[in-house]
Amino acid sequence: MEIIVQRSGGLAGLRITWRVEVDEQPDADDWVLLVDELPWRDVPPAPPEPDRYVYRIECEPHEALLAERQVIGPWRELVDRVRETAPPHREPPPAPRTR
Amino acid sequence: MQQPIVPPYLLDRIADSGHRFPLAAEAARRSLLHDAPRRELRGVPPLLPPDRAEPRLPAALPDAPSHPDRRISDAEGTEKLPGRLVRREGEHATGDESVDDAYNGLGDTHRLYDRVFGRDSIDGLGMPLEATVHFGEKYDNAFWDGERMVFGDGDGEVFRGFTDSLSVIGHELSHGVTEHTAGLRYRGQPGALNEHVSDAFGALVEQYALGQDAEAATWLIGEGIFTDEVQGRALRSMLEPGTAYDDDVLGRDPQPAHMRDYVETTDDNGGVHLNSGIPNRAFALAARELGGFAWEHVGRIWYDTLTSGRLGRDATFAEFATETVHQAEQRFGPGSREAKAVRSGWQTVGVLPGSGEARHEE
Repeated sequence: MEIIVQRSGGLAGLRITWRVEVDEQPDADDWVLLVDELPWRDVPPAPPEPDRYVYRIECEPHEALLAERQVIGPWRELVDRVRETAPPHREPPPAPRTR
Repeated sequence: MQQPIVPPYLLDRIADSGHRFPLAAEAARRSLLHDAPRRELRGVPPLLPPDRAEPRLPAALPDAPSHPDRRISDAEGTEKLPGRLVRREGEHATGDESVDDAYNGLGDTHRLYDRVFGRDSIDGLGMPLEATVHFGEKYDNAFWDGERMVFGDGDGEVFRGFTDSLSVIGHELSHGVTEHTAGLRYRGQPGALNEHVSDAFGALVEQYALGQDAEAATWLIGEGIFTDEVQGRALRSMLEPGTAYDDDVLGRDPQPAHMRDYVETTDDNGGVHLNSGIPNRAFALAARELGGFAWEHVGRIWYDTLTSGRLGRDATFAEFATETVHQAEQRFGPGSREAKAVRSGWQTVGVLPGSGEARHEE
């Protein structure tokens, strides 16, 4: 089970991804519990705010897109924990479309 | 009548020093002219129709103060807003560099909008300019939350802090102006235009404060916010999108400079910080083509576009471009070099049809 947190946007428009392989964690059970308790189906759409971050949080079969303002409570707990556990990876944005 | 302190011969010399000291040169030219209309000097016909005249004639250079109402708060490393109020309008510098940089930057931004565009503050009604500094812990960002500008301190490895750059402060405040005027929706093309407008006016704030003309200007956004470790000049280059940085850790500046390279993505509200490179380049090209002070031509045209009431919240690049050409024709006249330069800029980046070489026709 893998948790992926991807942060995009911000004034600089840089994309950073953190990945945690839950099965490799000493406290794997805690991670599973945390993921199960997340309100995956209960993320209301939020109006975008200029230059704030956008978070994409994935853990098969779940996926949620959150505005920075929505990353509170258990979401914040997960994001903070992922950032403490995994190194940040900077990835280039998607390639330009061909026209 | 008071005698001028600087003798005319010296004013003449300063006025001729143009490129090196554009601010001083312009100030000298104005003194030489006394109150003669400046357009006459520049050979630009006064094409402004009476009904479009500014409510008052704003000074075109930052030599006259404006009257902002600034309030700087300190989040003290938390993510709680607004934080503790630490400096109000008219109070002395605090010695905290972030607080004082934000205070000064908001003053410079207010002055551009007030003196050049006749707009008093974000809403045009003198609303207080509020900012919070020291937001979060090693927070790598600055943003506009609908009420205030918020600045992090940076992580110290990639970013050294966000109040170091005047263009960044101008960028954030301009999000407020856009919200109060054209209201461009922060997603996809209108979102990238919202970003572009903030970059454009952020650059103008810096140019105005430094007295730089279009040629002397760097056209960089966020110069000085990277640490020395980063191989890069700034966050973005308006003139040459995609060239602001190329670094082992950050990678390469991903901004496109032409419509053929427009990036489709669901990240970053549809790539608003990527695709803004396209209109940014159109703006900078038009400004450079016209020369002189960018706030006097493209700045006014873009401000007219934002405030015309003719632009939809969901405007596409092409709709925005068409409106800027229209506003250029309204203000400077159909067939004016301003209208031609604006059209040509958009053609060069592939937003309006044509080769972009039209500027060479006469």
